[in-house]
Amino acid sequence: MPDNEIVVHGLTKQFRKVRAVDDLSFTVQPGRVTGFLGPNGAGKTTTLRMVLGLVMPTAGTATIGGRRYADLPEPIGTVGAVLEASSFHRGRTGRDHLVVVCDAAGLPAKRADEVLETVGLTAAARRKVRTYSLGMKQRLGIAAALLGDPPVLVLDEPANGLDPEGIHWMRGLLRGFAAEGRTILVSSHLLSEVQHMADDVVIIAAGRLVRQATVAELTGELATTRVLARTPHPDRLVAALDGARAETGEDGTVRVTGVDTAAVFRAAVAAGVELHELTYERPDLEHVFLELTSGRAGIQ
Amino acid sequence: MSQLVRSEFRKIVTTNTWWLFLLAVFVLTAASFALNALQAHSYIHEPAPQLPPNMPAEQARQVLADYTARRNIAVQAANLYTSGQYFGLLFVLLLGILVVTNEFFHQTATATFLVTPQRTRVIAGKLTATVTSAVGLCVATMVLCVVAGVIFLSIEGAAFALTDPAVVRALLLNLLAYAIWAVVGVGFGTLIRNQLAAVIVALALYLVASQIAAGIIQLVAFLTHAEWVTKLAVVVPSIASQVMITGGDLPGNPPQWLGAVVLVAYGVVAGAAGTLLTRRRDVS
Repeated sequence: MPDNEIVVHGLTKQFRKVRAVDDLSFTVQPGRVTGFLGPNGAGKTTTLRMVLGLVMPTAGTATIGGRRYADLPEPIGTVGAVLEASSFHRGRTGRDHLVVVCDAAGLPAKRADEVLETVGLTAAARRKVRTYSLGMKQRLGIAAALLGDPPVLVLDEPANGLDPEGIHWMRGLLRGFAAEGRTILVSSHLLSEVQHMADDVVIIAAGRLVRQATVAELTGELATTRVLARTPHPDRLVAALDGARAETGEDGTVRVTGVDTAAVFRAAVAAGVELHELTYERPDLEHVFLELTSGRAGIQ
Repeated sequence: MSQLVRSEFRKIVTTNTWWLFLLAVFVLTAASFALNALQAHSYIHEPAPQLPPNMPAEQARQVLADYTARRNIAVQAANLYTSGQYFGLLFVLLLGILVVTNEFFHQTATATFLVTPQRTRVIAGKLTATVTSAVGLCVATMVLCVVAGVIFLSIEGAAFALTDPAVVRALLLNLLAYAIWAVVGVGFGTLIRNQLAAVIVALALYLVASQIAAGIIQLVAFLTHAEWVTKLAVVVPSIASQVMITGGDLPGNPPQWLGAVVLVAYGVVAGAAGTLLTRRRDVS
């Protein structure tokens, strides 16, 4: 099986006055879910559309398993793409939309029924797309992406329009595909949306790469826990902590870095310091994401 | 390529457009046939003109010649058998435009170009499917009109003239016209991606351009005293179509093939320019 790595190299897209994507490079590994993150307007959709050969890059290249999308011998047998949910003829049935794609790819029409089953749309297969909810259109989009049983999946904000149950279903689906060794690239403007299913993240802002890392790495950077204590005697607590990095805040709060709640509690008891509150302050990836992307204009 | 053509056919038949178009063409064809039949009926039964004895010989010859021409059964038969051509060609033009512009209007171009990134092949598939549909539509309407026409002519007691060279030529040119207008439609749709704009431009060219162009050409010819200007009328698509189908009665009598060449040129130039643009355009 060919290596289905997605390699984006020096990718740039200049629209009239806006540089939507600016010298962007990153790689997406097979067998892993990669979250493609950035605020709205960061250039995620433009980047994905360049990877898929729909938008022509001003400079740079994007390859899948070493080939440009347009050069793939079996495009939808190699890459399945889920782009925005409105790309259907409203007067055509969901099944017909898929069969049209099957025809063009030389796939039998029964593939359409199979993928409709996979995404749970069988009951609505012969209804016109006009009657579909946003979530159903999103599922139809995912069904279209699965037609060619591709080893690579690219999804642009697939959670938009899905209800919580749908999002849960989609996460399971994508995790399952990654476990089968497929390459999954999924964009989102919300880190929390991909945090629990992604292995890697590529973070961009204003068309430029901010960070490519594994989720574990990012989380590791945050492993240093912070404890928040509230006490009427902050100074005595700081003294009792004896050397631990602590800073006092307003109305009797003390933030201690590098120790756990048990240690703080023991120190307080030993010194006879009254405690009103003692909690972990668990910084999550969302904070990191906001820090990494803040101050960079999302919309140009 | 056959996969692509099949896909394009399925796109056509999986929305309501095709049968609405078909219905419209059949209704308008039936109406045209009725009018043509009425006309044929009156011509067939037209009594020989009573020439006043003092009419100049030249004029009398003309009156008799006109009378004979009207009673030419081959002309009447060809007219009946190709009834509804005017509307059929219009709908074929619209079909060609919709086949291309629907992709952008409904944003299905994304799905289409994902499965076939070679955009020129996509357009070739659309062209093949549209021309084939146009030819199919033409054959369907012609079969209906020929059957109805034969019944009508037999009731009238007139010859069917089915093997008359003039009739055969009219039927073949009808077929050619459908195919060529399909090419023009796809060409226009490819060049003008905005559906509404493409439809308006095409309707204007088909329905009103002949009159406007004829007026302009007359004016220019009058102002410049250049007689040759009047021969340019054939460059207007609808006039070219008329020249191709009937020979027309234009100054300079342009040959029928010139009409066909002009029409094909419109389709090919629009289609080629549109294809070049489509290959480079961003689909978003």
